[in-house]
Amino acid sequence: MSFGSSYLTLPDFQYLKPKTLQDALQLLDEHKDEAKILSGGIGLLAFMKERLVDPHWVVDIKAIDELHTLRDEGAKGLTIGATSTMNQLLDFEPLKEKYKALRDCISLLSDPVLRNRSTLVGDICEALPYVDGPTPLLLFDAEIEAASVKGTRQVPMSEFIKGVAETALEPNEIVVAIHLKPPPEHSKSLFLKHTSSSEFSIVNVAALCANPTKPESRTVRLAYGAITPTPARVHEVEELFKRKTPVSQLIDEAVSVVRKSTEPMTDVLAKAEYRSHILEVLTIRALRRLLGR
Amino acid sequence: MTEMAHSVNIKINGVDRKLEIKDNELLLDVIRDKAGVKSVKAGCWRGECGLCTVLLDGKPVKSCFVLAIEADGREIVTAEGLAPEGQLSLLQKHFVEKAALQCGFCTPSFVLTAHYLLSMNPNPTEREIREYLSGHICRCGTYKQMIEAILECAKEQNQAKQVTGHKGKG
Repeated sequence: MSFGSSYLTLPDFQYLKPKTLQDALQLLDEHKDEAKILSGGIGLLAFMKERLVDPHWVVDIKAIDELHTLRDEGAKGLTIGATSTMNQLLDFEPLKEKYKALRDCISLLSDPVLRNRSTLVGDICEALPYVDGPTPLLLFDAEIEAASVKGTRQVPMSEFIKGVAETALEPNEIVVAIHLKPPPEHSKSLFLKHTSSSEFSIVNVAALCANPTKPESRTVRLAYGAITPTPARVHEVEELFKRKTPVSQLIDEAVSVVRKSTEPMTDVLAKAEYRSHILEVLTIRALRRLLGR
Repeated sequence: MTEMAHSVNIKINGVDRKLEIKDNELLLDVIRDKAGVKSVKAGCWRGECGLCTVLLDGKPVKSCFVLAIEADGREIVTAEGLAPEGQLSLLQKHFVEKAALQCGFCTPSFVLTAHYLLSMNPNPTEREIREYLSGHICRCGTYKQMIEAILECAKEQNQAKQVTGHKGKG
């Protein structure tokens, strides 16, 4: 059926469904940019409907068993396989407390029906400023496991997104899994965002805190996204909280550090000035909640 | 590129269907135009309105965001498949009783997602229902009546369960 608008149909392509990772990697090595990976398809099919992406080959990776991994290995951290859906992650016990910032983030993404298909790996590979997934992953020092016919390598989340819709992946590489490092013991984490009326994030903040009342052992982590083309941790803020200064004062200082260290962008969703203001508000809110002020 | 046709097997509402499709066809269009199941509506094609929702292997998905070829060998249930021919499911009955529709265009999709919600969570709060249906749009705005219908259905199902439970113990 077509009413003449392009977004009602998909361009022609050939569908491939390899059963092993090796087969998928061979296909990617052979076809490179001409091939696109399909798992949930939310991003890919949307871009294809708009004719922004027009691959000759669509490689469905859902039949590859080893990409379905979803496991908590305690001190070794968490592994989230490429095909794990958002709803599988919401049901996954370790996300409920230990990695709560990630769960908070996922629970605010799209809607429960789309989350039966959408994947976290798909979200980060889209690499658009308004995707939320990378921000909480930065809190947990996530590493992205990329594979090609030549082997695998780990790319830190902080180096994975290179720019708007640009990742560290080579055309013959595929993300196999995301590895999260366990947070400090007894830490709490959260995720906050502010969206445009079209529900795209214009600012998101993820924060983590352990031992809020003991400066000597206190850990604070802060990351933000959607305000610049690439998400980032604010390490200067994290250093601040090791001091014995009263917490309310530290939060004020943290806000001024955030203000100085970031240069929010202006785009179709929001102006830089507006983003700056919202970033300050969300930073204060996140730190107060975690530090009990 | 040559357009390749494939033969796929999809079980739709309990019936095995053999359908000829092309790689780039959306499940939405195949269900409506090739399998002739018209309760699945085409609204936005962008995953926003939820009208094209079907249960794929039991779980709701928006069929404008699924390739038809991905459904090969799998099972689809639409509003027609929730009860035997000529009958209504308990949830459908409550939708009728509460008059939870005006034009009715979105109703099959809401019924499917609510059916799945009740199967996972037999006792949802109003807030949980609102959250779970947030990927669906009703332009007539009969959300209030739909939520009432779902709550009533949950109540009746739970009462029925308690009665059978007592009988079992006796």
